[in-house]
Amino acid sequence: MELTDADLLARVLVDGDQHAFGELVRRHQSPVRGLLRQLTRADVELADDLAQETFIRAYKNIRNFRGEAKFSTWLYRIAYNVFRDQARKRKELVGIDEAQWQSEADPQTADPGLRHDLMSALNSLPLHERSAIVLCCQNGLSHDEAARVLEIPLGTVKTNVLRGREKLKKILAAWGP
Amino acid sequence: MNELPQTEDWLDRRLREEAPYIDDAGFTGRVMKQLPHRPSLRTQRAIIIFTATILSVVIAYFGSGEGWFVREALVRAATLPPLTVFGFVLACGLLLIVGGLWAALTRTRDPIG
Repeated sequence: MELTDADLLARVLVDGDQHAFGELVRRHQSPVRGLLRQLTRADVELADDLAQETFIRAYKNIRNFRGEAKFSTWLYRIAYNVFRDQARKRKELVGIDEAQWQSEADPQTADPGLRHDLMSALNSLPLHERSAIVLCCQNGLSHDEAARVLEIPLGTVKTNVLRGREKLKKILAAWGP
Repeated sequence: MNELPQTEDWLDRRLREEAPYIDDAGFTGRVMKQLPHRPSLRTQRAIIIFTATILSVVIAYFGSGEGWFVREALVRAATLPPLTVFGFVLACGLLLIVGGLWAALTRTRDPIG
């Protein structure tokens, strides 16, 4: 029987079991790294560095996890904070240099077809809309959960998702029904 | 409270389907190497209990006229009939076995993964 996240967390908290934490990392690494790749506009190296920092920060602060939200939501929140801290350092949160971001895009996304178009379309969105779209539409978070991760009002999340979706639909009209 | 995202349409489906699973490729190992070492709660608890026990013994020893009651107990034990001493030792042994079995059974857990 596979252990739940709660079982693994209990082992980390009570026994300081690092193997249990390793299992949590293995389970959640893909969505966390995926989110950070979207936020960093497919800068794989930077995204993975931030993902490592995310899990280390999660381990150090694991006693602060109250279980009010899902563990994955808590991780997304840490990941977003790590990204924001790093972006502040690089002065990229305010007045993002779009051209620089585009030039830093990973060549992996240059695959032909839908994935490329989707990634390009996502990358063309401003950060606040892209974050909301990735969390809600790609990672399946509710608007409420996304609001907690991004630390913005619920209404703002809804607006960002709506606007982002409208833009994506326009750009990707050729792939639509 | 937890409001679900908007009704799924072709865009949501495309976004979800096109999000690739990222292979671990040593990522977890790199994270594990960087984790800070931290004594477990069990170790901390054991240290606290051990320290508290030693302190209590020292306080009790000096607070009771340098342990006159211990000497008294030893003198009394020396005068006990051999059968009583044997019964006492047997009871202690049984208690230890039961305690050990109980600890072994309760600590048996499912393996991770």
